[in-house]
Amino acid sequence: MSRSPGRKQENHKISRELFVLTYGALVAQLCKDYEKDEDVNACLDRMGYSIGIRLIDDFLARSAVKKCRSYSETADMIAQVAFKMYLGVTPSVSCSSAAGNEFSLILDKNPLVDFVEELPVERASLCYCNLLCGVIRGALEMVHLAAEVSFLQDRLKGDAVTEIGITFLRKPEDRKHRR
Amino acid sequence: MAVCIAVIAKENYPLYIRSVPTENELKFHYTVHTSLDVVDEKISAMGKALVDQRELYLGLLYPTEDYKVYGYVTNSKVKFVMVVDSSNTALRDNSHSSMFRKLHNSYTDIMCNPFYNPGDRIQSRAFDTMVNSMMMQVC
Repeated sequence: MSRSPGRKQENHKISRELFVLTYGALVAQLCKDYEKDEDVNACLDRMGYSIGIRLIDDFLARSAVKKCRSYSETADMIAQVAFKMYLGVTPSVSCSSAAGNEFSLILDKNPLVDFVEELPVERASLCYCNLLCGVIRGALEMVHLAAEVSFLQDRLKGDAVTEIGITFLRKPEDRKHRR
Repeated sequence: MAVCIAVIAKENYPLYIRSVPTENELKFHYTVHTSLDVVDEKISAMGKALVDQRELYLGLLYPTEDYKVYGYVTNSKVKFVMVVDSSNTALRDNSHSSMFRKLHNSYTDIMCNPFYNPGDRIQSRAFDTMVNSMMMQVC
């Protein structure tokens, strides 16, 4: 699956409904398999992680972006290029710490929850889109950026917007030693 | 302008039934139940040869002295039955068809919810809102 820049990119499109329904079926099946919400969340995170470590190469090949020089550039790249490429939405980025290593992506439209009205009563603490957190974490790890990613707000749980928080764990100065 | 709307599953049990004047609910349940026979008759009368051109909207099932009953069946044999007040003659036949289409669309949205198991009772706020809007047009 090598993609040379000269070759015309074939963007295979699939039906959005198929993707959303597949994800929904995945979450529903996990809910049947595990009793506790934390187990389901952890499982989704693990799955997302394995997707992320593979997806990063596809992303870098298709987008041909330059190396990011700062954490805020990285967060912008995730929001404006990666989310746009794979989900078709562009979350807005905001930096929420003075140290410059905590960011939040605010999604006003989340295509994965198109058909889900609200979480079932017995699954109140389920993070429905936890797969996305795993994907971001896995992808960042493959470019040597350790990060913690989690949902800070979730529309399915009654909050106003869906907010994903990314916390980069190493300080920016540590990156210099890799030269 | 409907007074009662019901969604019936393939096995002829109700998935959702809602009527506006709640004191006579049992009477509406009975009306809907008896209309199921008429629905089955209409489906079988269409014949196997015409299955391709089968219309989903069945039209007026039968009139009683106070009410008219309209039916709609989907390709998965889920039936929608609507009981309308006879005194409301303002409604045209087209609008019944469009109301059923709206019901059908809301029903498919519910089916797409991954936490909904087909065959369960329908407990969706969006569906309730849509049905309320159809029934409240009377006022």
